[in-house]
Amino acid sequence: MPSLNRRRFVQIAAAGAAVTTQIGCGRKPSTLGQRAEIPTTCELCPNKCSVIAVVENGLIRKLNPNPENPKSRGMLCARGNAGMLQVYDPDRLKKPLIRAGARGEGKWREATWDEAFDYTAKQLTAIKEKYGPQGVLWSSTEAFAEIFFKNLGLAFGSPNIVRHPTLCLASVNLAYSITFGTVPSFDLLNANYVIMAGANRFEALVTPDTMDLIESTMNRKTRLICLDPRFTVTAAKADEWYPVKPGTDMAFILAMLHVIIGENRHDKEFVTNYTQGFQQLAEHVKQYTPEWAENETEIPAKEIVRIAREFSDAAPRAVFYAGRRSSWYQNDFQMRRAQAILNAVIGNWDKQGGMVPNTKIALGEIMFLPWDDPQAPRVDEMDQRFPLAAKGDGAYLALRENVLAGTPYPVKGWMIAKQDPLNALPDQSKTLKMVEQMDFIGAIDIQMSDTAYYADVVFPESTYLERWDPIEVMSGIWPAVVLRQPAIKPLHDTKPCLEIVQGIAKRLDLGMYFDYTIDQWNEAAAKELPIEMPFEYLKKHGVFTPPGAPTYGATLQPDHRFITASGKIDLYSERIKENGHDPLPVYRPPEQPPANKFRLVIGRKAFYTHANSTNNPWLHEFAPENRLWINPVSAKSAGVAEGDMVEVASRVGSVRLRARVTEEIRPDCVFMLHGFGKRSPALKRVYKRGGSDAVLLETAWDKVSGNAAMHETFVRVWKV
Amino acid sequence: MADKRYALIIDSRKCINCKACVVACRAENRVPLGHSRDWIGEEHRGVWPNLSASFEPEQCHHCANPSCVRVCPTGASFQRDDGIVLVQEDDCIGCRYCIIACPYNARFFREDKGLVEKCTFCMQRVRRGETPACVETCPSKVRVFGDIGDATSQLNQILARREYRTRNPQTGNGPQIYYLI
Repeated sequence: MPSLNRRRFVQIAAAGAAVTTQIGCGRKPSTLGQRAEIPTTCELCPNKCSVIAVVENGLIRKLNPNPENPKSRGMLCARGNAGMLQVYDPDRLKKPLIRAGARGEGKWREATWDEAFDYTAKQLTAIKEKYGPQGVLWSSTEAFAEIFFKNLGLAFGSPNIVRHPTLCLASVNLAYSITFGTVPSFDLLNANYVIMAGANRFEALVTPDTMDLIESTMNRKTRLICLDPRFTVTAAKADEWYPVKPGTDMAFILAMLHVIIGENRHDKEFVTNYTQGFQQLAEHVKQYTPEWAENETEIPAKEIVRIAREFSDAAPRAVFYAGRRSSWYQNDFQMRRAQAILNAVIGNWDKQGGMVPNTKIALGEIMFLPWDDPQAPRVDEMDQRFPLAAKGDGAYLALRENVLAGTPYPVKGWMIAKQDPLNALPDQSKTLKMVEQMDFIGAIDIQMSDTAYYADVVFPESTYLERWDPIEVMSGIWPAVVLRQPAIKPLHDTKPCLEIVQGIAKRLDLGMYFDYTIDQWNEAAAKELPIEMPFEYLKKHGVFTPPGAPTYGATLQPDHRFITASGKIDLYSERIKENGHDPLPVYRPPEQPPANKFRLVIGRKAFYTHANSTNNPWLHEFAPENRLWINPVSAKSAGVAEGDMVEVASRVGSVRLRARVTEEIRPDCVFMLHGFGKRSPALKRVYKRGGSDAVLLETAWDKVSGNAAMHETFVRVWKV
Repeated sequence: MADKRYALIIDSRKCINCKACVVACRAENRVPLGHSRDWIGEEHRGVWPNLSASFEPEQCHHCANPSCVRVCPTGASFQRDDGIVLVQEDDCIGCRYCIIACPYNARFFREDKGLVEKCTFCMQRVRRGETPACVETCPSKVRVFGDIGDATSQLNQILARREYRTRNPQTGNGPQIYYLI
């Protein structure tokens, strides 16, 4: 090999370090600049992985994982790596905007913050005077600073706060809460047998659960069983994959219960000591034989029997994973209940390798002036329709129906933070109608989302790498406290959520309720942590985690009372019955698509899990447009070939996109990725590119939790 | 540095095709869109419902006997004593012989600069004692980077107890990415 003299090596090293940046608005940092490493917290998905921002001369050069976080450890996914482009996106929101043309026409004028605040306060006050404070809806999605926005809605006097859970995992949370009194984590790192139905943890979202499951399945030979109508990455990595008939997961679970209880394989001691309602359960599942389930699920009875036996043999290190995704069917709560019950009877509760109640870390709280509770009832009538559900989060689709109908009262103002209801909610045409009937819409975002595009005022938020956020606790098997602090100063005329909230609050005479700074909030929050100089510690490390390994079994002590109706684990639930639903999960077969239609199933790729990252250039390259997955057999009968432009139509809308003819989907289903076919031209890479699933999905929800049911839509497909 | 000889282990079974390594490399090395220094090969096989799929991360193999270096007419392509194969930008005339000579398609031509670019094992990070960006960021920890000259390295410990293969060994290039079986 050629020898390398020292002079030459120095040259090369310098060449390697030279930055030929594509970003940063043409600024070129020198190679001999100041280098700083700032620990902070990712915001690209709800998992809050710890990152270290490498900053040189005021430019973010790279995001690296922060191994100090016990959950995310040394991991940063594709989205986490690409997050820095949010800062340098030339199309991001840079100044407050006030609509200048018709709504949705895309004509704006730049405004000062004062103007934007004054205008918004005036509009909100006018609505309040005419319709009462309940006439303004406050909707937001998961964010550290969401609390400030939500509190502004409440201080304004509106009960109508609607958050993301009913578009996500409200049915899971409710089912596990009612059964166990809390929503547990699944100890995938230590489980020996894992069943995933629908959950696609190797593909749809990359989180600590993904890392744990790879570690256990590949290094420890944990057995992974996957049920999914698509051949996902999880299916490809699983030991066994069953292309279950969509909507029949509950039949599979009930048949497993039938086998486990029928063969006396349940954990008798655990069931006796910690649960109630076992006799009713045993009686109830007698009807659900594996042969019956084979007919429903298309999974052979002998496999169901074997899996049930293996699952109970592996207990307590066996879990039927709850999944982290939106609900699918109108019985989703009951399906999740069946999962919870199956987990309960094998006694995996609060054991290593089983389901583990989350450990929390207490934060301090800043004192602020309390406001009067809103007087009006919620517009979505949660109390009557979903009495068991978490009221503070609302039920988004039921809410939309009522707003459109004007019952029980008119809602004419809509404040939105970080959320994109036009893509997040099924049935986009209805959301557009909701937009149309609003007197005023204000949106806080970092980019011109489809929803922001239809707003009257758009407030540009600083990106997560430019702002402080409230300290957040990540509860779990390994709990942690994480801090988000700015890596750089805001590049543009943007503000963090708290300052936007304060600006509006001041002009609504509500400023006294937000009379604190983010620093004061964080000082107070950190104060309770059991370390010296806690806030300084967090600034230096970005994350705090208590010493020691996870502990198991605290809830198995004799004096523990489960926070359920009975104080034990509720297999049979009197409380559910009192509220008009089945106290044990009763299987009802889902409607099947007619011969000329397909069921539209949804799912995610981790670089695009939510609708907001498809325009990121470093992610967009992986899938420049979404395509319609269709099985070759179905494609042939529909006259569709690979790459053909097809029209996909449901009862509520139609979209055009190209076909991807693939063996990796059931012939009775079609599939497309989320986050394409955008309406906002500022999302230029995906503007009118591909199709939006939100246009096609019909309005349906789970009857108990109000969670949107995303798999209840049948579509026709034809070549254009 | 003189004693070191860098190599890479890739455990493809653990790869979930999440692209974190591709984005991390792009960010770390400012690789322009349209090109990648690392990528993930995919293979999908079978007919519904008997299917399988596999993913294999790929990049420069930093070969022991690199054909790209041999064919370079100007000496721009060269190998350091620690095994890292590099392109000296000043000497590259953009003839692209090396691109043809590489059995792994690990090199590409940068139109904007008129020269050839490739994986450097993130030498700027390695110099600071860090691992390459693709190695560090990986959620499923597919890659292990290390010194194959050091018998005590984690890399050698894994190679001692696991079976592995290299890609296209018949070329005589002596590739230094070890794919675990």
